[in-house]
Amino acid sequence: MFDFSDEQKMAQQVLRQWCEKELAPKVPAMEKGELLPYDLMRALASTFGLAEMMKASFARLEARAAKGEAAGPKDDDEESGVLAKDPGLSAVVAIELSRQCPGFMLAFGASLGLAGGAVMARGTLAQKKRFALPVLTLEKIGAWGMTEPGAGSDAFGGMRTVARRENDGYVLSGTKSFITNAPFADVFVVYAKIVDKADEDPRHRPIHAFVLERGDKGLSTGKPFDKMGMHSSPTGEIFLDEVCVGRDRLLGEKEKEPSREGARDVFHGERTGMAPMCLGIVERCLEESVKYAKVRTAWGRPIGEYQLMQEKLARMYMHRENIRNLLFKQLWMQKQGQRQSMAEASACKLYCARATTEVALEAVQLMGGNGYMREYVVEMMARDAKLLQIGGGTDEIQILTIARQLLAS
Amino acid sequence: MKILVSLKRIPDPEQKTRFKGNAIDFSGTNWVPNQFDEYAVETALRLTENASAGNARDGEVVVTTIGTADAGKVLSSALAMGADRAIHVDGADENLDADIVAQVMKKLVEAEKPDLVLMGKLAADSEGNQAGQLLAGYLNWPQATFAAGIEVVDGGKALLVHREVDSGVETKKVPLPAVVTVDLRIVAPQAVKNGKTAATHAYAEGPRYASLKGIMAAKKKPTAKKTFAELGVTPALRVKTVAVEAPPARKAGIKVGSVEELVAKLHNEAKVL
Repeated sequence: MFDFSDEQKMAQQVLRQWCEKELAPKVPAMEKGELLPYDLMRALASTFGLAEMMKASFARLEARAAKGEAAGPKDDDEESGVLAKDPGLSAVVAIELSRQCPGFMLAFGASLGLAGGAVMARGTLAQKKRFALPVLTLEKIGAWGMTEPGAGSDAFGGMRTVARRENDGYVLSGTKSFITNAPFADVFVVYAKIVDKADEDPRHRPIHAFVLERGDKGLSTGKPFDKMGMHSSPTGEIFLDEVCVGRDRLLGEKEKEPSREGARDVFHGERTGMAPMCLGIVERCLEESVKYAKVRTAWGRPIGEYQLMQEKLARMYMHRENIRNLLFKQLWMQKQGQRQSMAEASACKLYCARATTEVALEAVQLMGGNGYMREYVVEMMARDAKLLQIGGGTDEIQILTIARQLLAS
Repeated sequence: MKILVSLKRIPDPEQKTRFKGNAIDFSGTNWVPNQFDEYAVETALRLTENASAGNARDGEVVVTTIGTADAGKVLSSALAMGADRAIHVDGADENLDADIVAQVMKKLVEAEKPDLVLMGKLAADSEGNQAGQLLAGYLNWPQATFAAGIEVVDGGKALLVHREVDSGVETKKVPLPAVVTVDLRIVAPQAVKNGKTAATHAYAEGPRYASLKGIMAAKKKPTAKKTFAELGVTPALRVKTVAVEAPPARKAGIKVGSVEELVAKLHNEAKVL
């Protein structure tokens, strides 16, 4: 229960080799914005047979749908969507990519996990085939758009993006901001409130997810933002200017589906998906710090012999243990088909993100002037870690969610 | 083509070697597959697939190791890379030498009847470089060592083996069945030509990464367990360990003030000039 299986460990080993050999040399160029992460994401998918696996899994899904069978335990054979069916394996991928470059993992996860995952969870078979499959096979890049310039923590209430019913379809207008992959994505999952009149107050209207494509008239994206960290992951805006779409772009194609639930599902996924990223960053920072503490000397002794440095290392280790335990609890529950409560998922995300920022900053501190230099990986990790306290729901929103559940009963 | 490949696990060469009494301390050792054996697996896979037709399998690759249950992990890695099945011979490193390995391999060859035995040119821990040669001798099969390139010729009845030697590249034609040991450059993008994969096909440099599908499929591939007794091999060590010690620590160098001083020291003290 508290360790990965032999297969997952083997996957971890080959992924680590790939990351060290193929990903690491490209990180400086990606961080400087000279290289986009997408070709490397495709190389990763082709090296490990992801696309092939996704296609095989999809063919099975279609065959079963043709026979009128529901998706079920047959999904568990080794060739079907391994990543979706084995959360431990997805975690291993996230840990290993984050150890080398959290920004790369963010771009990868937002495309496959958030955009691809949303369509796979809520879409019709036709929508899955048309929009999710190319994202899961990396032929296309996905973006998932919830946040707006005026709606971050108040994501649902403050949302201004609307889908006006017209003829048998919808006209979408609004702006999404801070969207991972937006400047370069091909497929966009965006959330909007369905209204009947253009001037209707959308505050309490139900939220629905739509799938859009680059090339849809009226859809445009902004330039990549200049961010504090996560430089390997392009982030930007999506502008929707009277984008006319048919009902086939409404995720699930049924208005009565409670889409607020759907979005919350993805929020949930966004939150639980943070733990392995945090573990990857923390493990790397701890390893680099231990290595450094053994070789860097001051007053004739390795700095690891000084108690102030030992305190830093011990706290990093403590956080690593806690994040690991939280991750394995989460994986165990997923395997049992149990669902974490919102408070559980929020507590996990809150702890992991804060601990990761602390660990990465302490790694910089332990290395002093060197740690502040871009040449040392902890400098990037410290800037990247901060995003984890903001994206996927800020620390403050996690606290609110926990408190709300505690005080409700 | 049916190919038998031998694998050995070795202590991670990146790890510091520790000594305990008259032996190497293996507690806390991170074991990894011998790199040359991984190259042999990659070579075997390249020889038995059509890379121009979606890597369609065309032949069989059987991988084997002699070792403890834990050492069997090298077989799982090879199966995940694409080998078809495995044979795990129970044994412990301290009871093995190149001669016993060759004897065990001979028995496996007699049972499996492969067209080709592929081995690493040496294991990077003991650096013996003997097992392949001994095996070819015991089998009375042709051998080609240090292969840096292999081409299947004569309709699959022979191999052209390019060997890197001091004076350049030597090419040998070897009728099958044969024993071939491989060197580093056998995993260059176009080092292996099997006559099926287009001659222009370029592989990625190095042994392939196991795919996630391959890793999940590996546990379902058959692994046969064998013992020395079942194979009829009596393990009698012919190599005796007399002593194990760390190489002497290198002495600090000195700085010389001038070319003249350097030449004088090389002449008078080092006596190399």
